[in-house]
Amino acid sequence: MEDIVCTFCGSVCDDGEFDVEKRRVKRFCRLGSSKFAEKERIKAPMVEGKEVSYEEAIDYAVEILVNAKHPLLYGWASTVNEAIRLGVILAEKLGGVYDQCASVCHAPGVLAVIEEGLPGGTLGSIKNRAEVVIFWGANPAEAHPRHGLRYSITAKGLLVKDRKQRKVIVVDVRPTKTAKMADIFVQIKPGYDYAILSALRAIISGNADVVPKEVGGVSKEKLIELAEIMKNAKYGAVLYGLGVSQSRGRDRNVENAIKLIQLLNRTTRWIIWPMRGHYNVVGAGEVPAWEVGYSYAIDFSRGYPRFSPAEFSAVEVLNRKDCDAALIVASDPVAHFPASAVKYLKEIPVIQIDPYPNMTTLVSKVVIPSAVYGIEAEGSTYRMDGIVLRVKKILETNYWTDEKILEEMLKRVEKLKG
Amino acid sequence: MLWIKNGVVVDPKNRINAEKMDLFVKDGKIVEESKVKKGDCKVIDASGKLVVAGGIDMHAHIAGGKINTGRVMRPEEMRVVRNIAGKFRATVGRVLLTAPAIGYEYAKMGYTMSFEAATPPITSPHTHEELDAIPIIDKGALPVFGNWHLVFKCIEEKNLEKLKSLIAWTIERSKGFGVKIVNPGGVEAWMYGGNVKGLDEQVPGFAVTPREIITWLMRANEELNLPHSIHLHCNNLGIPGNYQTTIESIKLANGLKNEKRQILHVTHVQFNSYAGNSWRDVASGAAEIAKIVNSMDNVTIDMGQAIFGHATAMTGDAPFQFTLHKLIGARWSNKDTEVETGAGIVPIGYLPSNPVHTLQWAIGLELGLLIESDKVVLTTDYPNGGPFTEYPYVMAMLMSKKMREGELKRVHQYVQKATTLPSIETEKTLYEVIHMTRSLPARVMGLDKKGHLGIGADADIAIYDLNPLTTDFSNEFDRVYKAFKVSEFTIKDGDVVAKKGELVKEVFGKTFWVDASKKVDVEAVIPDVKSYFDFYTVQFSNYGVDERWLKKSKRIEVI
Amino acid sequence: MLIIKPKKYFEVCVEAEITPDLALKKVEEVKKFKVFYGNKIVELGELFEISKEGEDKKIVLGGDFSRVKWVGTRMVDGEILVKGSIGTNCGAFMRGGRIIIEKDADDWLGTEMAGGEIIVKGNAKNLVGCAYYGDAVGMSAGKILIEGNAGNYVGDKMSGGEIIIKGNAGDFIGMEMRGGVIEIHGSCGFVGGDMRGGEIRIKGSFEVLPTFKKTEKGWVGDVNVKGEGVVKNF
Repeated sequence: MEDIVCTFCGSVCDDGEFDVEKRRVKRFCRLGSSKFAEKERIKAPMVEGKEVSYEEAIDYAVEILVNAKHPLLYGWASTVNEAIRLGVILAEKLGGVYDQCASVCHAPGVLAVIEEGLPGGTLGSIKNRAEVVIFWGANPAEAHPRHGLRYSITAKGLLVKDRKQRKVIVVDVRPTKTAKMADIFVQIKPGYDYAILSALRAIISGNADVVPKEVGGVSKEKLIELAEIMKNAKYGAVLYGLGVSQSRGRDRNVENAIKLIQLLNRTTRWIIWPMRGHYNVVGAGEVPAWEVGYSYAIDFSRGYPRFSPAEFSAVEVLNRKDCDAALIVASDPVAHFPASAVKYLKEIPVIQIDPYPNMTTLVSKVVIPSAVYGIEAEGSTYRMDGIVLRVKKILETNYWTDEKILEEMLKRVEKLKG
Repeated sequence: MLWIKNGVVVDPKNRINAEKMDLFVKDGKIVEESKVKKGDCKVIDASGKLVVAGGIDMHAHIAGGKINTGRVMRPEEMRVVRNIAGKFRATVGRVLLTAPAIGYEYAKMGYTMSFEAATPPITSPHTHEELDAIPIIDKGALPVFGNWHLVFKCIEEKNLEKLKSLIAWTIERSKGFGVKIVNPGGVEAWMYGGNVKGLDEQVPGFAVTPREIITWLMRANEELNLPHSIHLHCNNLGIPGNYQTTIESIKLANGLKNEKRQILHVTHVQFNSYAGNSWRDVASGAAEIAKIVNSMDNVTIDMGQAIFGHATAMTGDAPFQFTLHKLIGARWSNKDTEVETGAGIVPIGYLPSNPVHTLQWAIGLELGLLIESDKVVLTTDYPNGGPFTEYPYVMAMLMSKKMREGELKRVHQYVQKATTLPSIETEKTLYEVIHMTRSLPARVMGLDKKGHLGIGADADIAIYDLNPLTTDFSNEFDRVYKAFKVSEFTIKDGDVVAKKGELVKEVFGKTFWVDASKKVDVEAVIPDVKSYFDFYTVQFSNYGVDERWLKKSKRIEVI
Repeated sequence: MLIIKPKKYFEVCVEAEITPDLALKKVEEVKKFKVFYGNKIVELGELFEISKEGEDKKIVLGGDFSRVKWVGTRMVDGEILVKGSIGTNCGAFMRGGRIIIEKDADDWLGTEMAGGEIIVKGNAKNLVGCAYYGDAVGMSAGKILIEGNAGNYVGDKMSGGEIIIKGNAGDFIGMEMRGGVIEIHGSCGFVGGDMRGGEIRIKGSFEVLPTFKKTEKGWVGDVNVKGEGVVKNF
């Protein structure tokens, strides 16, 4: 099967070739290929460690959720939009909280968008037009292995033909693998992204005189050089990673970077975009945005959606012990959340929907295995730049899809809630 | 089966003007009396009430990347709670609404169809996912063509057949309804920070001009004989003096004729009707625009009325959006989209105390009043001019000079000298306003089963607490406004979906799309399209929307 | 004076928009006041012991209120005395009166406050006197006194009023500030990014951004927004 769509990272490569007999995928990177390899699966639905039918597991799960005062529904970045939509509606009907993986990842970028907007573009606009690409706190060589080839570094575009016509700059706190591929590497002191961005804005707007000799470990000369490159590019792109959005300053860093982009657009063209992680973490924000108006950290306890990251992000909810049950879909918070949050998760009934066993399985009262999207089921996903791709069904399975499981849950919840 | 008894029907397409009559509905269609068993009918007593076809919003931004980014960017818009979760969905939104809120609010107002006015072909799957999440109403989407490198290529090659094939291929792939053009050439110029200033300015990097883009797409559209004409957002939008560009663009339709509909639809013309040289001396060019539109028999427009209050500017006109951001200093989102097009979003508001905003408000009304009712459709270009929920305000204003006089007193007096609104005596009749919101948009979009109540029409019906035979529309404008705000009954495909502003049933409407792939040799353009896919970031086979992905597909085949 | 005490440990947070207005009502009426216990709407009396001593417009919150949100929101006068700690959004949109918190305050204390006074005897967490997401202006008038430490993001988009922190403050203080005063007796991180006006005084150490000019008045900026805000030691 050709042109299959990868369900690993936010690059969502769609040019894979799948050999059904050998169960091998061609053209994808190491990370993507691993997704298509056979792996240990959750064998059957389980309630408190005992195997049960899908219906029994769903009944049990629904009882927990309907009786909860404030259930948390978390995950969603590694499933398809159809399932996410049902998850949002389920949270709404239950009067719970919908939150998704972005809240521990790129959500600060959303807060920055609220402040300043998002002057961006699709990956195709970078591939075809960007003469200068700056990776800021992002390391695609490790995290998005084919990003450079397909979209940003060596990608062959219509107007920018190849690597020679493109200048690649890496700004990071350490010499990463991506930095080695760059024309210019700017090493900065951890925690000084904001200050450096402010300095660049000052230099570009003609206020270089106030900028001190060194900012965040970077000499003023180097900053002026960087500013000149940015100003003189016909079309440039800043692609930022967790180094910006999860380090000191978080949303303020991103906001400052957006302000820099706004300024540059007064004289030339620049765009900025986050290097999103999970294959459908964008969908986990887009779908709730059209269904209920917000992209994450959404509380429905009053019967309508409210947005408050400091209160309704999963980690905040758990740290404040503000939920009494949790539904975890396609995610592993036990492996990734801070210890304090995990500690509380262990105290409440947890329901997991996932194709694969993980750390969260171990603390889950109800475990419902699901089909793997992109291999055993189809559905739509959003690439990191919001371009929709339909992941495909390649192999048959007896596992239910997230969509079917959630649909059944929703039906029961609606019945119980009247 | 439904029997709507004793209503006062206004149905301009069938030349029915306030006649007391009964309507019968079976299987979602309007049928003859003999086709129903009266005893089995659910009876709606419409005595003394106005019965019309469901309203059609032919130009709004209701789904896709733009409105959704707008929602994320403006949480303050989402704090207005419209419905608490229960039997129906929770809905929120001030002007920007969630998808369920869009469906519910249209339905409560007696509107039953709406078109997403601009979707880049590559993002059409997103647009359709969002359209599918909008309950009740029927919908469609217009893919954009005016800045796409592939379109430029066909025009540079002067290959009309290829262009026709490209259009047919694209609207089939994107499940689109027609050909939208946004600031032709200008958005491509924006990719390097520019814009195009006139119809004859060459698009940077291409041997084409806006004039050629419009003309060629118009010719191709006519040869394909699509249900809808080209749908043009003119160059120079939002710039003082732009009314001349608009007039020049309108003239491009000269010499072409289509017996069913217009050759050119120019959209949200309010934003393209500015005289003057700067924001200091900006004035209305609406009278001039009205003159040319009235003089031609193959051009229609929609108003793009500005409503006082909050709004969000979101268009495919990316350079305009940046200009707006610079002008007012508000948040700005932008989306350069592959080599297809671009878009931008900026929060705005219209204040009655602001001379420019008041001018925009007045221009929309001038267009609505001065242009013949058979050529101007009522829109706010939602959410650019404001909420669609204020259509009743515009309807009432068009019908009452007295209401306008009252409103003119509370706004900035700049309009007195800069527009002709204060001197306009015209009061549109109810018949005309119903035409402008129902039968005309249906004709403009090429939908023969919509916008009317004749036998065979879709049973999309609105009943209002307003008796046309006893209402004084000039003086009772407040009551008229209130009556149109919430319908007594809204009926969608024969189902009563809303009553007195309360939702009673949630259904899902259809997505209308046009398939002209049999009309031309689509294969003719495929080699070109495929060669361009070297520069796309998705595979050719993964581009577009399959029919089976749509919740309720309504394919309209062009043969 | 109304005295309110939790009857039990709350399994999830409670949202109770209690204002001193309640102190003027009869106890029976107060008991019927609606609060949100997770997704359940319950009466105040179901969760709390309520008693009354005298008629003054004052509420005393005894016991643990650290899981009770939105206390004192939109209050215009009177007093709330919190004997322990308080949950999030305390004193949001407050226009007058006084809130005294004897222990700590959670996030979003005094958000978009337009008058009145909040005194925290312990520490405050993040987002003191800020603007909610999507809003243009933070605290515009009134006074917040924190005797302990405060977290990150204090006085975002603040346009007036006064925030005094006797201990240390976290990072990103007075961002996009337009007016008013923030006084920190301890130390803090970055201050005044994109500040247009107002004053930030710090006794201890802080980090100045590279976009402030050193003048006799102190550091003036932020030049990126042609700001005239002042950041200085005192």
